[in-house]
Formats: sequence, C-alpha cells, structure tokens
Amino acid sequence: MSGKVGIVDIAMTAGAPSHENFLDIVFRVCREVLDKAGVSRDDVGTVISCSSDVFHSGMSCANAYYWDAGAALLKNGSRQDGEGLFALAYAAMRIMSGNYETALVLGVCKGSENPENDVITHFYTDPFYLRQLGLNETIAAALQKREYMERAGITQEQCAKVVVKNLGNALGNPYAHIRKRITVDDVLATEMVMDPIHSLEAGPKSDGIIAILLANEKKAKQLTKKPVWLKGYGSSLDSFYPGDRDLLKGQLPNAAKRAYDMAGIKNPKKEIDCFEITEPYAFQELLWCEDLGLCGKGEGGKLIDKGTTSMAGAMPVNPSGGTLAMNPYISRSLYRLAECVLQIRGQAGEHQLDREVKTALAHGTHGFAGQCHAVAIVGA
Amino acid sequence: MGRPVAIIGSGQTNHGKRFDVNYPELVNEAVEALMENTGIDLKDIDGVVFGTMPSMMEGVALTHFYFADVLRAVGKPILKTETCGSTGISIAITGYYWVTSGMADLVLVIGSEKMNEGDSQSTMTSILDPFYQKYFISGAPGIFSMQSQEWSKRFGIPEEKVRAAATRLSIDHHNDAFDNPHAHIKQHLTEEQVNTARIITYPVRLWDVCPASDGACAMLIASEKYAKKLGRKAAWIKGVGYCGEEYWFGDSDKVIWQSAIQASRQAYKMAGIKNPRKELDVAEVYNPFTFQELLYYECFGFCDFGTACDYTLKGVFSREGELPCDPSGGTLCTNPIGATGLNRVAEAALQVTNQAGAHQIPNAKTALAHAMGGVDQYNGVMIVSSVK
Repeated sequence: MSGKVGIVDIAMTAGAPSHENFLDIVFRVCREVLDKAGVSRDDVGTVISCSSDVFHSGMSCANAYYWDAGAALLKNGSRQDGEGLFALAYAAMRIMSGNYETALVLGVCKGSENPENDVITHFYTDPFYLRQLGLNETIAAALQKREYMERAGITQEQCAKVVVKNLGNALGNPYAHIRKRITVDDVLATEMVMDPIHSLEAGPKSDGIIAILLANEKKAKQLTKKPVWLKGYGSSLDSFYPGDRDLLKGQLPNAAKRAYDMAGIKNPKKEIDCFEITEPYAFQELLWCEDLGLCGKGEGGKLIDKGTTSMAGAMPVNPSGGTLAMNPYISRSLYRLAECVLQIRGQAGEHQLDREVKTALAHGTHGFAGQCHAVAIVGA
Repeated sequence: MGRPVAIIGSGQTNHGKRFDVNYPELVNEAVEALMENTGIDLKDIDGVVFGTMPSMMEGVALTHFYFADVLRAVGKPILKTETCGSTGISIAITGYYWVTSGMADLVLVIGSEKMNEGDSQSTMTSILDPFYQKYFISGAPGIFSMQSQEWSKRFGIPEEKVRAAATRLSIDHHNDAFDNPHAHIKQHLTEEQVNTARIITYPVRLWDVCPASDGACAMLIASEKYAKKLGRKAAWIKGVGYCGEEYWFGDSDKVIWQSAIQASRQAYKMAGIKNPRKELDVAEVYNPFTFQELLYYECFGFCDFGTACDYTLKGVFSREGELPCDPSGGTLCTNPIGATGLNRVAEAALQVTNQAGAHQIPNAKTALAHAMGGVDQYNGVMIVSSVK
C-alpha cells in the first residue's frame, strides 16, 4: 500500500424498520460521523457511497436521491453498486492517490422500503435460463447447503448452532435487528424457507445506513486518538451460472489471499483476533470460515462444535451477531467492518470480546452462493 | 500525487439496434475489439471496473454477475461503479484511481448498455422521487428543453440564433458520424430538414436528440511500467474532475451550472490548463442534445456565457476550427448510456495517440472527455494527453 488509510469514525443506524424519512436518516448519519470527528462538511474531500437501484425504494440511479443529504453537494464523489466494501476500497484508493486527505464512505439500504430480498435477487438471473427457473439467492443457498451436507458431512445441528451463537451474540449489540436467546431445537423446529434451510437460518431484511470517515495517516492521527488502519483488501468474482461452478470451491480463498498478502498476514488463525463474516445463511459462516483458512476444507462443522468461533473461543466469529442478526443487503459488510473497528477500539460495549483485538477481518459477499466476495483487514 | 496513469487501448462495438446479439455477447464484442486493437492478452489484468446506467433498464440487476465471464473478471477483483448517465466517465475515473493509488498496474474498464431491450425513458423517469418530481418530468428531453429555454432567456439570446447554432451542430455531427466506424446514426442533413423536423419537447426537435443505442466500450488503463512493458501508445490521464449537485431539480441553477463548471475546473487544475480553448486540441463533449452542447461550451470555459452560439456559427468548434468538438459525432449520434462516457474517453485517447482514423484531428496532443448524468445532477471530466 502506498500511504496508510485510517478509519476515523463511524455512525450507523440500527437494523429495525424505521419510519424516518430516507433522506433524513442519511443526513443524520452523515452529520453524526462528522460531528464525532469534529470536522465540517467542507473538510470532507470526497464521498463514495454504496447503494443499489433494486434495493432503493423503487427509484433508479440510486446515487442521485441522497447525494446532497449524503454530504456530497458540489463534491467529487462516486458510487459503488451492490457491495459496501467496494466503496471502502474505492475511497481508500482515492486517499492513497494523494488527491484527498479525507473520504466519507456511505452505505445506503433501507430494506423496509423494498420488496423481499428474494424478489430482488431473482432479478440477478439472466432472461434465458435462470429466470425461468425462478432462481434467487435463497434457492442458490439451499443448493449450496445441500451439497455441503452431502460432501462435507455438515449437519443441521451444526448450522443451527451458528444461529444460536450469532443471535445470542446480538443480544449485546444495540445495532442488531434480530436478537434471540434460543436453542438448537428452536432453530430446527422452524419451518423450512427452502429445504434444507430453516427460516431462522436465513438473515432478516433490515434497514442499515452507515457512514464511515476515512483519512490519510497524518489527518487520521489529528482527528482521532484511536485510528484503525486499513491493512489489506481483496475481492474476487466467480463465474455466473451456478451449474458451471463448484459451489463449495468459490472465490473467497482468492479474495482472502489478496487481502492477507497486502496485510502481510501469513497465518490468519493466529494473527487475526476477530472475524466478522457475512453469512446471510447460517451454513455459509462455516463454509466461509474454511475458505478464510480458519480450519481445513470440510472442517467448518468442527469449529462450531468445539466453540472455537464463540465470543470466548480462540477465533471469535461475528461477535456482533453477524448477518443473521442484521442484514441491510447493500451495506451489511460495512456493518461487519464497523464491528471490527469497535472491537479494536474497545468500544463494542456489551459485546466487547474478552481479549485484546489488534487485527480484525471484515467479509462481504453478494450474488448466488457467494458469487462475489470481498475481504478487508483492519488493525490498530 | 499518485503515479502516472495511461490509457493504452480501447475497443468499441458497432452501435445501433443490436438485435443480432444478446447482452453478454454485445459486451464481449467490445472486449474482443480491445484485444484485437491492442494484441494484449487479458489474463494479466489486476482487476475489472464495470458499469451501466440503471441495470434494470434491460431487466437484469447487478449485471456484473451475469457478465462475469465476458468481462474476463472470473477470479479477478472487481469494482462496480454506477453514477447514472455519467457512469461511463465514472468507471474511467475509478480505473484511474485504482492504478494511480498503486493498488493495480493493469485494469480493464468496461461500460455497456442495451437500450433497445427495454423502455429507457421509463427507467430514466424512475430516477425521480415518487412524491413530487415524477409527475411532471417525462424522460430526458423534458429536462433538457427546460434547461435550454432558461439559458437562452437568461442571456437574451434570440431564439433564431439558438436554433441556427443548434442546427449547425446537428448537421456537422451527423456528417462527422460517417467518419466514425462505430457511430449509430449517420445522416446528411439540410438546414431545412433539421429546422422543420418534428418537435420532441419544444424547442428540441428530432435531429437535436440522441438515439437510443445498444453498445459497449472496453478500455485498458495501465501504470507507466505496464504501458512501457506492453509497448503501447499511451494517452496519459492528466486530470480528472467530477461534481454532483442537489437532487431536487428546482434547487440549483442549471445555467450557471455548478457541477459542469466545477468538474471541468478540477480537471483543468490537475492538468495545469489555464485557457481551455487554446490549450485543448479536441473535446469530446457529452451532447445528447444540441442545445446542451452549446451550454457546455460556456460552462467549460471554451467561451464566455451567452456567446456559444456566435462562436459555433463562426465554426470555432467545428472540425476545422480552433477547438474541434465531438469529431466522432459524439453522443448526439451514438448513445448507449453506460458506455457513452467511456466512448468519449476512448475517442479522446484515440485522438491524442493519432489513432482516430478518418476523424483524426491533425496533431491533437491534449483532449477533453466528458459525461453527464442524473437529472442534470452530475458532470465528470477527464483530460488526456500524448505527453506524460
């Protein structure tokens, strides 16, 4: 990396459906992050947002509506589509180029104003083949989970344990949308949304508008006593048709390797203290853990059985409650990143890990069965 | 500032009503053209930037999924940049930042649109909020005619003079398009044809308006090291500017148009340009409407406010003039929205590397490329040069 990029401050909404006006929320969140950092709108160099037309309250050109509410009036800025971490990466590039001292990253998704996620993800399909099948993200995930169960021997109980862990972790997180103290049996007793996925194993549909202020090294040190540095980033895209892919051998290892290489991480198990993983479906947390190198291939189930990924375990995964507890589709990975920053700063309150968190990993994914992955590494 | 960045090649599809190919095939055509033009194997790219106008225009959302293979993006990092009609320039700017930041050496940038697959005017109308604006703005022409009326009234420009200048641009560009193998609409027009064509939204007539095109554009953006290694003629990116203004159409002045003025000044400042009409050799101005092109000349400082018609009628902006604008025929003749801004950049790069063929402006060294988006909300400008 040429030049360090620091995360100065974060402001975000909670996940429950809000009756507040879209623009008011965006304005309030941006105002809050600037107030926290003690800067004015004029001090913001550039604004990079992430939003998506199909998750945007029935309006096209999602960047247009909130531009001025989002602190970007008469500023140079841009927008990324679909994945919050793309916006983080692009904003970081702009700072690394030397053109900007500060950048505001904005993730915008008011889930409660959109149709169900699967109605929307169905539109990822091509018009010729997959559209006729009615494919959506949940169906693709169900196919992926079935394959995972068949080939790696992952059990329903192991997947349910992920739900129990994450919704339990969310009890301490004021920003989470779904919080529950439940048992494995409770999860398995819920109906199937798409066999073999029980309804509690699928993430909710949440509101989530989040603003993150980035700055170059000098500025970050001026603006905050506890800057958190972006150490590494990587992304990777897979082929489109699920039938052309091995759904258990996706692109996450590639995305992770790029991020690890940039951050100089050789052994993620030892060097990373906290993992925030986007797991819209419970089993995916186990699969993504394998892909991130937390365990061997096919061993994701053992991780949860042994409690390795619990708050008190050797490799805590999703102390925030993860995506199962908070799923604003477009901005969800920025919420994962926010949790990493809070943990590193020791500001996670009731869900603060009982250990020193120096380095943390945030992961984002979107698309059928994890067609696209992005990984960011942050550290003190 | 960051590292020097070069455009080392581009590929455009043939634009038009492309019912002979499906959407991924159309995108693939641009990538194949890029490979043919440059002879570069794309397996070495560090990443892909992709963008379109609202992806639901063709009824498929987040099209980077569907196009993963034709984008040559499988196993690669990707960024998906979208900023309405200015997407084409925003993806080029994204590619620029990716390379200048040191995060990549070779980035493939692709923009596309297949406008004839859907109802583009309906899609564009849905940019507007459902409470206030959607009811009285129908598609793009309504917006731009309001802007043009406001401009001519503000500066007291006689209607006949505005009409004459717009007609001159229309005739010139539709002629220029014959020299651009990729252009969509090519037409020899007379003044009478343009002046008496049917009205779309007064004062905009049929030949003042761009078509709805299907097309794609692909471009390679490289670091200095890679530009040298690949041995390609480079168009160096000297300046980038982008600016967005209020969402609500009535909140801002669309004549002394801040987003256009400031985007151009940001790019000039970076490129060290003081007098654009003298220092630029060619400009690819985003001109979906003739009247808007006239206004852009003024906002970009090519001439003072209120004088664009006089300069245009004198031929200052024609192909033989002091600052040739849109020798490719511009957006007026070819408009596949997500690709259009990138086409402007590609054309500017072709000009400064002396590869524009029949519409080459002799000795062009420095060029401007531009795109506009939203309801007159966004403008982006890029300056490219043959000199690093």
